[in-house]
Amino acid sequence: MSTVDTQGVLQMLLQQVADSHTPREVLKAPELKQMYGIIATLPPEERGAFGKQVNDLKIALEQAVAVRENELEFADVELIDITAPWSINGSRPQLLPTHQGTQHPLTKELDTVIDIFTRMGFEAVESRQIDDDYHMFGALNFPEDHPARDGYDTFRTEEGFIPPAHTSTMQHRILKNGKSKLDAGGHIAAISYGRVFRNEDVDATHEHTFYQVEGVFVSNDATLGQMLGTLRSFFETYYGQTLRIKTQPAYFPFVEPGLEFAIEKPATIGGKPGEWLEMLGCGMIHPNVLKDAGIDPTKYRGFAWGGGVERLVMLKYGIEDLRYFESGKLAFLRKFKS
Amino acid sequence: MIISVNWLKKYTSIDLPIDQLATLIGERLVEIESVISLGEKYKDVIVVKVVECKPIEGTDHLNATKIDDGGVVQDIERDENGLISVVCGAPNVRAGILAAWLPPQTIVPESFNTADPFVLSVRPLRGVKSFGMLASAKELDLFDDHSGILEVDKDVPAGSYFAEVYELNDYLLDIENKSLTHRPDVFGVIGFAREVAGIQGKTFETPDWLNDITPRLKPVQTIEAPAVHIEDKNLSDRFATIVLSSIDEKAQSPIQLQTYLSRSGVRPISASVDVSNYLMLLTGQPSHTYDYDKLKAIAGNDFSIRVRLAHPNEQLTLLDGKEIIMDEADIVIAAGDVAVGLAGAMGGASTMVDDSTKNVILEVATFDLYHLRSTQMRHGIFSEAITRFTKGVPAPLAAPVLAEAVRRLNKYTGAVLSSTISEDYPGAHEQISVQINEQQVNATLGTHFSAEDIAELLENVGFTVVFNGLNATVTVPYWREDIHIPEDIIEEVGRLAGFDTINVTLPRREFTATQLSAFDTLRSQVRSLLVRSGAHELLTYSFIHGDILKKAGQDTNNAYRIVNSISPELQYYRQSLTPSLLAHVHPNQKAGYDAFAIFECNKVHRKSAGFTEEDVPNELDSVAFVISRAKTKGDAYYDAKTYLEYVGDTLGLKLRYEQLSEEDVTAAPFEPKRSAKVYDVHSSVYLGVIGEYKKSVQKSFKLSQYTAGFEIDTRALYDAVSKVGIQYQPLSRYPGTERDICFQVPTEIPYQVIADEVEAALRETHLITSVEPLDMYQADGSITKNITVKIKLVSYNKTLTNQEVTSVIDTVAKRVVKATKGRVI
Repeated sequence: MSTVDTQGVLQMLLQQVADSHTPREVLKAPELKQMYGIIATLPPEERGAFGKQVNDLKIALEQAVAVRENELEFADVELIDITAPWSINGSRPQLLPTHQGTQHPLTKELDTVIDIFTRMGFEAVESRQIDDDYHMFGALNFPEDHPARDGYDTFRTEEGFIPPAHTSTMQHRILKNGKSKLDAGGHIAAISYGRVFRNEDVDATHEHTFYQVEGVFVSNDATLGQMLGTLRSFFETYYGQTLRIKTQPAYFPFVEPGLEFAIEKPATIGGKPGEWLEMLGCGMIHPNVLKDAGIDPTKYRGFAWGGGVERLVMLKYGIEDLRYFESGKLAFLRKFKS
Repeated sequence: MIISVNWLKKYTSIDLPIDQLATLIGERLVEIESVISLGEKYKDVIVVKVVECKPIEGTDHLNATKIDDGGVVQDIERDENGLISVVCGAPNVRAGILAAWLPPQTIVPESFNTADPFVLSVRPLRGVKSFGMLASAKELDLFDDHSGILEVDKDVPAGSYFAEVYELNDYLLDIENKSLTHRPDVFGVIGFAREVAGIQGKTFETPDWLNDITPRLKPVQTIEAPAVHIEDKNLSDRFATIVLSSIDEKAQSPIQLQTYLSRSGVRPISASVDVSNYLMLLTGQPSHTYDYDKLKAIAGNDFSIRVRLAHPNEQLTLLDGKEIIMDEADIVIAAGDVAVGLAGAMGGASTMVDDSTKNVILEVATFDLYHLRSTQMRHGIFSEAITRFTKGVPAPLAAPVLAEAVRRLNKYTGAVLSSTISEDYPGAHEQISVQINEQQVNATLGTHFSAEDIAELLENVGFTVVFNGLNATVTVPYWREDIHIPEDIIEEVGRLAGFDTINVTLPRREFTATQLSAFDTLRSQVRSLLVRSGAHELLTYSFIHGDILKKAGQDTNNAYRIVNSISPELQYYRQSLTPSLLAHVHPNQKAGYDAFAIFECNKVHRKSAGFTEEDVPNELDSVAFVISRAKTKGDAYYDAKTYLEYVGDTLGLKLRYEQLSEEDVTAAPFEPKRSAKVYDVHSSVYLGVIGEYKKSVQKSFKLSQYTAGFEIDTRALYDAVSKVGIQYQPLSRYPGTERDICFQVPTEIPYQVIADEVEAALRETHLITSVEPLDMYQADGSITKNITVKIKLVSYNKTLTNQEVTSVIDTVAKRVVKATKGRVI
């Protein structure tokens, strides 16, 4: 049996920890290293027992380090009177100057967009930031393993939840909640807005986190012409001028027909005739989506659309890099003084 | 996907200029990413006849040639016979052939549109003047063959324009594949051409061979064909094979065909492979060729081809030499029981066709797109073929493609048809038909189409429409298996006519404006209050690094973890907003901003928050705020408190602060000795935490000493605010009076005790009263502190006398003195 006094070493090291302001350093003590060195020199039958002693010592030491670190953390922290208005012998802290404050350009733009839609009679609902496969895909006529799911590059959590890749994740809920309005002879008109997520590499024009606004309208006589009219009306209000619009066919499983919607670039943001801006995807809500929400597609029709908010802001101010929005850089934010 | 306009023109007429065509396709079929003009780089290339060809002495490979350009090139030196001298080093140059000549001053097509275009000149080579050059396929940027000059394989006169001979005055349309996920038919040139006809309002004539879905193929001789079994009908709708013999695998396909492949982005290889690729590009139907003899040998006694799922751990060596272990969800093509191909993705090496192959089995099949999609992801195979398979190729297409392949292989390789079609076709079904009515079409689109309009639009692209009054039966052509319901037909009508021709209106309804939800309104209010008090609103990522959670003292096990995150920095859902804000303090101070306040209103997620009725995680709304002043010393806590008081006061709340004791998720980064839990007094709602941060947190986020903040649960704030009534008090007609009073109390007495006692005393006066702190003083080393407050008193009924005021102040003083064991000074 080894003659090393493990208990003695432990006591000495524990004392060092208790006195130290940097207790973690003690774990690197030469004494500890030596003891590990001894293990290899022992006859095999003694190694197990001695090795265990050394390990126990190490564990005891680590616990002591954690305790001491915690002590240090709270030591010489002065208690303050948290109910006082300011420090003793001090004076009331001054708020920073009002002109320094800035609202984030995205939430500001979102306010404008929501304001226009609420004045057009659309309710605004914030979108979820974590959802399930059913709301993200299933209820929107994306069967499992459907290739169209690929286009959404979704993240997933361990539990199989999804950070939504589109604000359409709220569509089923909006339809289900609005059903009673249809039954009462009314219509559903709502937008959902919020943060969405896609598994994309980030560069000046791509972000994994961005904002969308989704719109849903259902009535007994909704038409595609009305959808185009509603969207044009929104953009005309937003840009404060009349606009030409155009569309192109597109495929989204939850609409039929599906379209991409573009406006002629408004003069207010430096547009020239013939320059087009693709703004959003839209279409007539697929009968399966209505059915899933308990709405009879033979009685009611609807349209829906969804588009990004960053693009509006970037066009408005001429912002060159999408990454600025979530960068937390004051240099960027101070350009948007309210 | 690249679509050649000249190729389209073989199937439909196009009378629009290219830009208008691209616009029309964009509006009515699919977005075009870009249009590439191919003709420009071939405009100067001339087909010439090599009239003379003599080796140049003293060189091992150079020949002096004399070429006939038909006299089309002006201002060039010619010999007495009008021929032009060109030196050529290609091994296949010889008198009598037709070649592609690049005259002097022209750009070699391969270098066209590059940074360094190669302009040809006249230069002497070994004493022989050479005017321009004879070009290889590679130099012509046609395909990757540089073994010799291109030999023109069409009988055209010398002096013809090369671009005209091979239809290279072409435009290429570049289309994003995922824009057409739902349209397997337009993944072929013919299908695309059909749509181009339809959107121009023209009737499309589908080639007869493609319309013939039950072709009769008569074998010239008979070799035993393998039996075909699809073991599970969910794996494949159809698997058709045919045997061809005496194939010449070395044969090359016509140059024109090769150029169509290469301009579509597919490399020409040999006639046998080219035919398969050509038909895939033309129809969207891939095919695969097996070496008959190799497959038969592998199959042994069971000469069959079987379509089944892979066995556990089944291995396969692919055509490209890669060895894979297949998943039990992969569809396998087996010879007998031996895997010889990964269905739809790639054939196996063991049955690969090579130069010595004599007999082949040609397979034309379809596979379940969901299985193939997972195979594609699993094995990372993204070929032109699997791209088409995963869109869902219609089963009836297999037969006409098989028949056309046999015809072309016979023509280009001499292959002889040696069996009838051997197939398994479990997916055979009746033609799809859909009932529509004119009213439904117009009501959905907001249009006024007549029955005739609707019928014409659909019939142009191969639908059959039979109207009976306003109702119609639409029979769907076999290549449109994506069409099932009336809405699908309505989309076709709207699209082919042009959605942009639809009359734009607004919904007709009883109109009422809505307003933001009360919660959203409150959040906007908080946001503008903080902005108004000089803070910056930040938006930061919802996902953070596990290290940031740990640095902030939060447990990663309580955070939802993203399994496919882009980087460790985005691995966890954040549990509170404070850590995200703290991470942005130091970088901004480093960037030169000394004093600032930042805040964020956003959602946070914790596993401990449980689930909603829909079984999705509960989401919490939070507003976090941090103030930091790099050049200030002192108790930043009170700075943060001033902000919170400003917000609370404006919203009508009265906040109470209790020393932070037990920790929760929000409180984790805060130092208990210098932090408080915040409650609203009226509603008793717990709002959140305010304070300075733990030393360890300050250290790991590199915070300057003067940093503090708060994090409030926005929903709790909303609950508290919604319980606040209207707080307006009528003004008094009488003047008010103010008194300052200074208490000396033991240092450990919190300010709140004095404030509470003063307020309690004032409440009993039935006057309009207010109290605010004026001064707090403690001499060095003293065990007492002096706290001065200002008291305001107003009566509704009269002007208060000096005596009345003194009496109130006395009551107040007594009460405070009693509670604090202090004194009035």
